[in-house]
Amino acid sequence: MNGRTRATTLRFYKEQLLRVLVHIQQHLDEPLALEELARLGCLSPYHFHRVFSGMTGETLAGHIRRLRLERAASRLKLGRAPVVEIAFEAGYETQESFTRAFHAAFGAAPGQFRRRQGVSAVIKAASGVHYGGRKEPKNFRAAQLKGKPMNVIVKHIKPMRVAFMRHVGPYNEVGRTWERLMMLLGKEGLLGGASQCLGLCHDDPAVTPPDKIRYDACVTVDEKFRAAGEIGTQVIAGGEYAVLTHFGPYEKLGGSYTKLLGQWLPRSGRRLRATPCFEVYLNAPESTAPGDLITDIHAPLEPN
Amino acid sequence: MNTKLDLYKVHKAEYVTARQPALVHTKPAQYLAIEGRGAPGNARFQACIGALYGMAFTIKMTHKFAGKQDYAVCKLEGQYFGDLAGAAKEDWKWKLMIRTPDFIGEKEKAAAVATLLKRNKSPEFKEVRLETIEEGDCVQMLHVGPYDKEHETIEVMRRFAEGKGLRLAGPHHEIYLSDPRRVPAERLKTILRQPVGRGKAEG
Repeated sequence: MNGRTRATTLRFYKEQLLRVLVHIQQHLDEPLALEELARLGCLSPYHFHRVFSGMTGETLAGHIRRLRLERAASRLKLGRAPVVEIAFEAGYETQESFTRAFHAAFGAAPGQFRRRQGVSAVIKAASGVHYGGRKEPKNFRAAQLKGKPMNVIVKHIKPMRVAFMRHVGPYNEVGRTWERLMMLLGKEGLLGGASQCLGLCHDDPAVTPPDKIRYDACVTVDEKFRAAGEIGTQVIAGGEYAVLTHFGPYEKLGGSYTKLLGQWLPRSGRRLRATPCFEVYLNAPESTAPGDLITDIHAPLEPN
Repeated sequence: MNTKLDLYKVHKAEYVTARQPALVHTKPAQYLAIEGRGAPGNARFQACIGALYGMAFTIKMTHKFAGKQDYAVCKLEGQYFGDLAGAAKEDWKWKLMIRTPDFIGEKEKAAAVATLLKRNKSPEFKEVRLETIEEGDCVQMLHVGPYDKEHETIEVMRRFAEGKGLRLAGPHHEIYLSDPRRVPAERLKTILRQPVGRGKAEG
């Protein structure tokens, strides 16, 4: 793949994201639904949030909150509306909570801020995007690659038939589902050999409330396996995947996802396919220290 | 619910290993084990690992499903026999092992074989045996780095043993703490264990 294609995809992702950023600026008073924003950005809701936070360096909610505060600051400076009204407009139910958030961001209470001259109404942000009225955000900078270079491999994967149990609830409780699945498959002689343990992540924990997160604990099986009782079967889509190996505790997987989807992907020359990401667990948490756990994160790619 | 038994934690003194050699006393231990010959990592070696884990998980999960004591499947270990430095890797004789609790016996093993036979898995699992190995006093040291640099660590262990009037008696035993599929060779952690005997020269 040449540099030009990479530059083109970075531009593609930046343009998509810019449309989302413009929409957010123009609709700061409305509830901003993730599905709608993802659609505007032509990104799958599966992956939208991670691409967004990876590229802007902020979560979607954090971005919206910051812009609302910047708008409040500029209204304090330029207008005469009472603080309570500006607080309400910024999405705060009480003036106290607004004052607290405002002080944390600008180092002064709203009243003091209004009396000062020449103070800036922007809050520092890596993306360079600030509240600018109805104008298009300028100077949008995609987050730079930080830390060690990422070792991402693009792999072609054949469709995989898996036995699975669905877990609905917080990620930190998937262990119980795994224990049961492993026990039921293990006593039938279905573990070991070439079988692999996979996790299929249907939701992004930064977006979906913990009690609604859907996660499938999966073990690869051959065609002879028949689903029964609590265990179902499904086929994990084949095709090309970007694979990043995550070393360390499962609680920190989120950061690796954000790096892969928000930093590697926009510079890769590739686009995401609208199917879920999955994880392959290479070692067993029961006999491995959390720091030594190894997980391959797979993000589905559109054909080149 | 029973708490999960972890043999490596129960026998912590036999497994906590530093990058300096140390004398360790080990008690007899039961393993699931399978033997083979050839370069580590070759097809036979991989098939044996698959068979060993297949047996280990089938036995463990059957036990757990029956409501009996749950336990963690231990890490992969290996013993290597004969003159490793002198022989070509292709001629190495080895035994791959997974430490297994004493309450697992031939009956449990036979039931697992019957289950795996139904699954039509590759035939190696039939070769897996249950055996108790007694190594007694050992010199032990953590090796960090590629497997083919182990001889350097073994040399340090040899000098340490000789300094105490002991000799490395073998067979060479290693406990794989890292996963060579993803961990870069220079960061692989392996416990090296050498049973020792009185006297100076080896063999």
